[in-house]
Amino acid sequence: MTDNFFNIILDGNIVKGNPGETILELSRRHGIEIPTLCNDDRLEPFTSCYVCVVEIEGIRGHQPACSTKITEGMKIITDNEDIRKSRKMALELMLSNHYADCIGPCRQTCPAGVDVQGYISLIEKGLYNDAVALIKETNPLPAICGRVCVRPCEAECRRNLLGENAPVGIDYLKRFASDIDLESSTKFIPEKKPSSGKKVAIIGAGPGGLSAAYFLQINGHQADIFEASEKSGGWLRYGIPEYRLPNDIVDKEVKNITDLGVNIHYNKKLGGNLSYKELKEKYNAIILTIGSQRGTGIGCEGDDAENVFSGIDFLRNMEATGQRYDFTGKTIAVIGGGNTAMDCCRTSIRCNAKKVYIIYRRTEKEMPANPIEIHESKLEGVEYLFLTLPNKVNKDTDGKLKSITCIRMELGEPDASGRRRPIPVEGSEFTIEVDYALAAIGQKTDVNFIGDINEFAEEGSLQINKWGDIDARKDTLQTGIPSVFAAGDGVTGPATIIEAIAQAKIASTSAHQYLMNLPIEPAKKTFTSRRDNFRKQVPQDYADRFGKQLREEMPTLAPDQRFNFNEVELGYESESIANQETQRCLECGCVAFLDCDLQKYSTAFNANQKGFTGEFKEFNVDFRHPYIEIDNNKCILCGRCIRICREVVGASALGFINRGFDTFVAPSMGDALQDTFCESCGMCLSTCPTGAITENVLFKPGPVKTEEARTICNYCSVGCSIILNHRNGFVMKVTGNKGTVNHDGNLCKYPKFGYQYLNDPERITRPMLKVNGEFQAISFEEALSLIKEKITSVNPDENAFFAGARLSNEEMYLVQKLARAAAKTNNIAGFHYLGRGNAYRLNCELNVPMGNIREASKIFLMGTEINKDHAVTGFLVQNTRHLKRIPVSLITVKENNSMKHKVDEVVKIGSYYYFIKTVNHFLLTNGMENSLFLNDRTTGFEDYKTALLKENYERLVKLSGISGKEMIAQFAEDYNKQMNAVLIFSEKEISSAASTELFILAMITGKLGKTANGIISLKEKNNSQGLFDMGITPDAGPGGQSLRNPDFRQLLKEKWQTDTLPKDIPDLLKLLTGNAIRNLFIFGEDPVGCATVENPKEWIRNADFVMVQDYFMTATALEADLVMPATFPAETGGSYTNAQKVIQEFDALMKPKTEMTSLGQLSAMLEKFGFATLASPKDVFMEFISLLPQKKDHSKLSFHATGEDDFTRIFDHGCDSVVKRFEEEFETAFPEK
Amino acid sequence: MTQTTVTVGLGSCGIAAGAGKTFEKIKAMKETEKLDFILKKTSCIGMCYREPLVEIRDESGTYIYGDVNEGRAIEVIEKHINQKDPIRDYIVYSDLFDAPENNFLNTQVKIVLRNCGFMDPESIEEYEVREGYRAIGKIAAEKITRPEVIQTVLDSGIRGRGGGGFPTGLKWKFANANKSAEKYVICNADEGDPGAFMDRSVLEGDPHSVLEGMIIAAYAIEATQGVIYCRAEYPLAIKRLNIALKQARDKGYLGKNIFGLGFDFDIYIKEGAGAFVCGEETALIASVEGERGMPRKRPPFPAASGLWKKPTNINNVETFANIPWIILNGAAAFAAYGTQKSKGTKVFALAGKVSHSGLVEVPMGMTIRDVIFKLGGGIKKDKKFKAVQMGGPSGGCIPEYLADTIVDYDSVNATGAIMGSGGMVVMDETTCMVDVAKFFLDFTRKESCGKCTFCRMGTMRMQEILERITNGKGVEGDLEKLEELAYQIKDNSLCGLGQTAPNPVLTTIKYFRDEYEAHIFHKKCPAKVCRPLLTYTVDQEKCTGCLVCLKNCPVKAITGERKQPHFINQDICTKCGVCFSKCKFDSIVLS
Repeated sequence: MTDNFFNIILDGNIVKGNPGETILELSRRHGIEIPTLCNDDRLEPFTSCYVCVVEIEGIRGHQPACSTKITEGMKIITDNEDIRKSRKMALELMLSNHYADCIGPCRQTCPAGVDVQGYISLIEKGLYNDAVALIKETNPLPAICGRVCVRPCEAECRRNLLGENAPVGIDYLKRFASDIDLESSTKFIPEKKPSSGKKVAIIGAGPGGLSAAYFLQINGHQADIFEASEKSGGWLRYGIPEYRLPNDIVDKEVKNITDLGVNIHYNKKLGGNLSYKELKEKYNAIILTIGSQRGTGIGCEGDDAENVFSGIDFLRNMEATGQRYDFTGKTIAVIGGGNTAMDCCRTSIRCNAKKVYIIYRRTEKEMPANPIEIHESKLEGVEYLFLTLPNKVNKDTDGKLKSITCIRMELGEPDASGRRRPIPVEGSEFTIEVDYALAAIGQKTDVNFIGDINEFAEEGSLQINKWGDIDARKDTLQTGIPSVFAAGDGVTGPATIIEAIAQAKIASTSAHQYLMNLPIEPAKKTFTSRRDNFRKQVPQDYADRFGKQLREEMPTLAPDQRFNFNEVELGYESESIANQETQRCLECGCVAFLDCDLQKYSTAFNANQKGFTGEFKEFNVDFRHPYIEIDNNKCILCGRCIRICREVVGASALGFINRGFDTFVAPSMGDALQDTFCESCGMCLSTCPTGAITENVLFKPGPVKTEEARTICNYCSVGCSIILNHRNGFVMKVTGNKGTVNHDGNLCKYPKFGYQYLNDPERITRPMLKVNGEFQAISFEEALSLIKEKITSVNPDENAFFAGARLSNEEMYLVQKLARAAAKTNNIAGFHYLGRGNAYRLNCELNVPMGNIREASKIFLMGTEINKDHAVTGFLVQNTRHLKRIPVSLITVKENNSMKHKVDEVVKIGSYYYFIKTVNHFLLTNGMENSLFLNDRTTGFEDYKTALLKENYERLVKLSGISGKEMIAQFAEDYNKQMNAVLIFSEKEISSAASTELFILAMITGKLGKTANGIISLKEKNNSQGLFDMGITPDAGPGGQSLRNPDFRQLLKEKWQTDTLPKDIPDLLKLLTGNAIRNLFIFGEDPVGCATVENPKEWIRNADFVMVQDYFMTATALEADLVMPATFPAETGGSYTNAQKVIQEFDALMKPKTEMTSLGQLSAMLEKFGFATLASPKDVFMEFISLLPQKKDHSKLSFHATGEDDFTRIFDHGCDSVVKRFEEEFETAFPEK
Repeated sequence: MTQTTVTVGLGSCGIAAGAGKTFEKIKAMKETEKLDFILKKTSCIGMCYREPLVEIRDESGTYIYGDVNEGRAIEVIEKHINQKDPIRDYIVYSDLFDAPENNFLNTQVKIVLRNCGFMDPESIEEYEVREGYRAIGKIAAEKITRPEVIQTVLDSGIRGRGGGGFPTGLKWKFANANKSAEKYVICNADEGDPGAFMDRSVLEGDPHSVLEGMIIAAYAIEATQGVIYCRAEYPLAIKRLNIALKQARDKGYLGKNIFGLGFDFDIYIKEGAGAFVCGEETALIASVEGERGMPRKRPPFPAASGLWKKPTNINNVETFANIPWIILNGAAAFAAYGTQKSKGTKVFALAGKVSHSGLVEVPMGMTIRDVIFKLGGGIKKDKKFKAVQMGGPSGGCIPEYLADTIVDYDSVNATGAIMGSGGMVVMDETTCMVDVAKFFLDFTRKESCGKCTFCRMGTMRMQEILERITNGKGVEGDLEKLEELAYQIKDNSLCGLGQTAPNPVLTTIKYFRDEYEAHIFHKKCPAKVCRPLLTYTVDQEKCTGCLVCLKNCPVKAITGERKQPHFINQDICTKCGVCFSKCKFDSIVLS
């Protein structure tokens, strides 16, 4: 062994391992993925799932990789048959008690596997193009299916169990979205892969052929369809009557496909005017989607009579000839109970028949036709003869149909189909007079081209199966000829459209594999957990859990309006009705389906949920917490939530209950989560490997695939990197990103749950001008001109500009440039810091990097409720305390500081300022200062000392508000003796003067500017620091440079290309209170809504003209004359400077909902004044950089004496309406607290 | 002339048998009749099947009376004390003549139990009289260094008596090697095996020997704090430990600068909530720390990172009780007992179908058969000895034909069972081995902490298969599935509980596969235990048609006329066995 590493043999390769690392870490470093469910890098190894097992030579049994540390010379095998067997068994054991559905029964049942829950979620959000995009992943004909699908999904829909007798209107919703998409200017057009140069011939332009062509074309192949008829659609056009499926819908969906480049050659019949020989020469592969074309007769004596024909011929002839039958005064008998029978009888009515019978040998219950069809046909006057079988067709002398003799039936034992077999009742014959009989009892596949194909086939031959259909491999749909595939009715016999589409997907995938010289194999089976694997679902499972909501029924033509071929179903009338219907979806599928590790590994290891059967646990989902829901059914007891809550959060809100098989996870003491120490941070959500702990959302989360917009959190000043997981701008969830500050991707409740505003439809998207007390939308040009006019219409110093601490550096910079360069005033500030003193400016300069908290010997929290306001920093503190048993001390003025249970000692004081000042006094009086540090590193110490020691110590002690004088000495000595004291405070509690005294404390004791010895000052808002750096103060410009400095003024003039700059440095608070401001320009702040006192409202009201730029109609915006729409950070791009001066850039990754971004508007305002365009955040930032001095002198720290405390806070919530909104929402969500 | 002493056994077994009343009766007689003897309490002597026990020691010798209820107590005091006329019929042991249980005590070698039943456990003075605190005294007096103490323990060859069998001296050596300002010694008194009560007896009968063992360990490894993790179900043990702790502190045996050795040490008791898994040392540590008792991965071993992540030495009660004897008598004296790799003695709790259930301490190397037959008095009702379950629910079944296996860690392990903490459950021909396996597995499965997937879910699934088999619903492949699960559970569990839980199933399959097969394939339970597999029929020859069975059948499954042979309708019969027990003519046949 050398000093620095171990030599390890990992899967036969010699690798170097770092002492102390686990096998899992070592393997990951070397690119070997070991599956694990219970491991999270943020937590200590636990070892419970036993999925990560490996073999170590010389050690019996398996060893868990997550907690086994490497040793010198270890020989590790991470994968072999034995290991895979163990892993699979571990998964199967977990799955045997995983009473949960991965996906809903709708999707499970759909032959094409259409993600119903997903598209319902998208429709709910009005994302219709996205919904269609999702449907078209597996079904390219949604507008058609949305009308005529047989809807096996709806039959399985669990809404059916709720006693409303109606499933979710899945098909109605699909139709709704598809119809909008068909007419939409932003209609979904799939992306096509680059051309492969391969060509495929598809025989038949029915649903199967069209779908196969679609899938192949987007996969980069040229798909050409050969259709025997004049027009496309197959049975869609020639079988289904127009009152159900208008031809123009077929045309539009076909056009969507041909627009992708698919060619359709009409009047080309294989085996007729088209030979396989010709196709084989021109095409690389062929897909036969020929359908089942031939109708069958009634199948009784005399069925060759005139006026007896098959239902499908009846339907086809009308479509093909364009001539409708005239059944005026005639009686029609339709034989059969399927959808073709429905089409025949309802069409007959439309052909003016006097009477139409349906003759069916079973009862209505057994009818395969869609119930809605039966219902509509009855409405239209069709008469049903159930339990009736035609026995004989009676002809007149001309051989023409005269009547039909039928026999009554009764139901016997169930047959192979599960339906009860009808048995004739002897002697029950009766005869009905009819003019036409339409047999709708079956179809046959026409395979008369087979000879042509086999004549020219070089390899293999095409075979016919025993049912007379094309023989193809069931899972790949490859026929006996390797280059020929088949799909649809031609393979299955007469079936449904959606089955044909499903088959087309399989056949086209196989054809693709064939074309690309890949092995032809069926798609890998995705594991899905199913409740039905445990037991059948019954109404009681759902009755109590969901409210009753009746189905939004499909509006239809009134029955008396139907004697024509106009579409009967009219489609949902409005988006709100469709939205109502989406709300009926019970979301049976798991929200974690797309990122569940259990599902992922179960698929990878081909685990079988029924591998082990036996007792299983059923739990009710716990919805009590407003943001977090717990579904124990999905829990695998990895304990990650429990551990993260203890080790990182420190709340210990969750625990294991019971032992053995009865173990489950629950809030401590069995209470509701909100009654524990739960902080609602959502860290448990972030670690759950399944869907057991998820976000309790107000919308339907799908799950659907989302895009990631990586940005920086715009709540507090820690500066966490976050990911907005959104679909077309609708944010579905927010997750942590491993960022510069939040190294391990941790997030607190603000970004995690405070994102609802991003989806709020109330958002302002256009400039709004108040006219006669009402806001009216105006154009940006009008708004910008108005702003210029207002600025120039008054004296420069009668304008005042305010930039919020949530703005990006770039926006702030432009606001102050607008004030100084355009409006020629230094009246520029943020309400955020208004009246709060100047010392905050220096707070960030000397901070200990956040990560160094881990090296502390003791942590002092000065007042800050770090768990609430800066929780990610709080996580670092807690984790350090947990891992290293580092003590944490809380110094607080609050009796009920919420950190009490997470610290090792509480020092209760009355005033931070006086307490610290008294401690400083004590240190100096007792000669406890660190002279070496003071001499080397500081200036002004002696002056400070003299001033301080003049103060009366007893008075200071009294003002400190402590219970005993000894507390001063105790604190002073404890702090002083620490090797690595980290003191953390937040500007929310600590005044500007107190913060100065805190830095002085650190200087006196020499605890500043060392790695883990010093101060961390936290600010309230994401870019509080930016206000200082960008010049949002009257006296200092960009870089905090004094505007009294002539060199700097000169530089500004040059860079801004302006001759004049304002000279006066006003006292803005005084101007405001003195009503000296006539025009107010407020960017991203809500002083009215966030004020803790009355005055700000007066300031706004007293101004002549107020402009507010914000996302919503805030309390301030309501008072304004002009409201400009602001864009979200992820729409604008830019940078923030966190409390430790870390500047983090973020890009504009989401499409703005307004015509101009916030930044663009500022640039345009400046343009109005003749300044150069600054098109992007980057351009703005570069201009800012050019204004900074080349070098900054940091060599000495200086002492500043403070007078008395000056703590005033005019505004809460960082003066930000978004913070206010979430904090109020959060508070109302927990009425008890 | 030595004064007569009367000692009543007041261990838990004695109290359960009514010794409290016996003691009160004797005390009352002594006071009212002003009798001249010393009345004393002691604890279990191991002869639990004869409790309440009263020992009378007079100038003539020692007599132990068995089954002394209040009535007998009056008789014994009357005759023996007042009339100097011992009642021979009641005496179970005497050093004067051949009493029925002489062999039971004389065959044993008492090191651990050297004081149990021979002194008042609530008296530190009595312990001192019996060489108590002499071992630590010797260390102080002879200035025996820490390495020397450890070497002595190493040389004695003693191995962990909790079941693991790890050399105790080695454990101490590791703990000593890890330097830290804080170190801990923990006594594992979380005895959890069903039917095992060795540790309880020691704690109740001789608590000071455990404390002294811990003090010596603390000295050896430089520990500052001791913890006794004792299950709360042992209230008497806890009470006596508390008394002993106070006495030891008062005497300065605990506290600052013990015996002038320059080290400080004290002990507190942590009561466990009776979770079996807390006997596992990492789970025990978690429990002491106030966490849920769940094991964690070793290494790191407690010797490196134990309680509060500090070096910690954990031994069980029996191990600690051995230590003072070893120090006093020397490693060689201890090593003189036993086999090459297993030295000293072992205490066993005999239970099940054995005639004399109770505690015995035997030298390592004795055969299992001797333990059962010589000490245990053989099988009850002279039934046929079938197997013995050793090591509790984590152990395994040893069949009769391997009964000559000697008591020694490695020999027992070779059978698939384990020495464990010393439980021995004896089974006879009426025991169904599938049922036994189910019983033990049911125990461990319920005691699984629920952490590891295999232990939590796998034992449950095994249990369900066993249920199925004993319900007559076993199917082909069940045995293979059981074995597959068993091996996977053993291989993929973090702690001893999971790693050993399948042992009873595996050993019974190994030695009694035919019994499993009879259940699965022939739907028969050869031992006639598994009720769903039994059939009651009427022997048509023997049946007299007395109608008794018919009248008593609760489900009216029996039909027949008076004086005509009866018939049991198998579709209705619930196999309750009432007919079988009511028939006076043995005409109900159980098969």
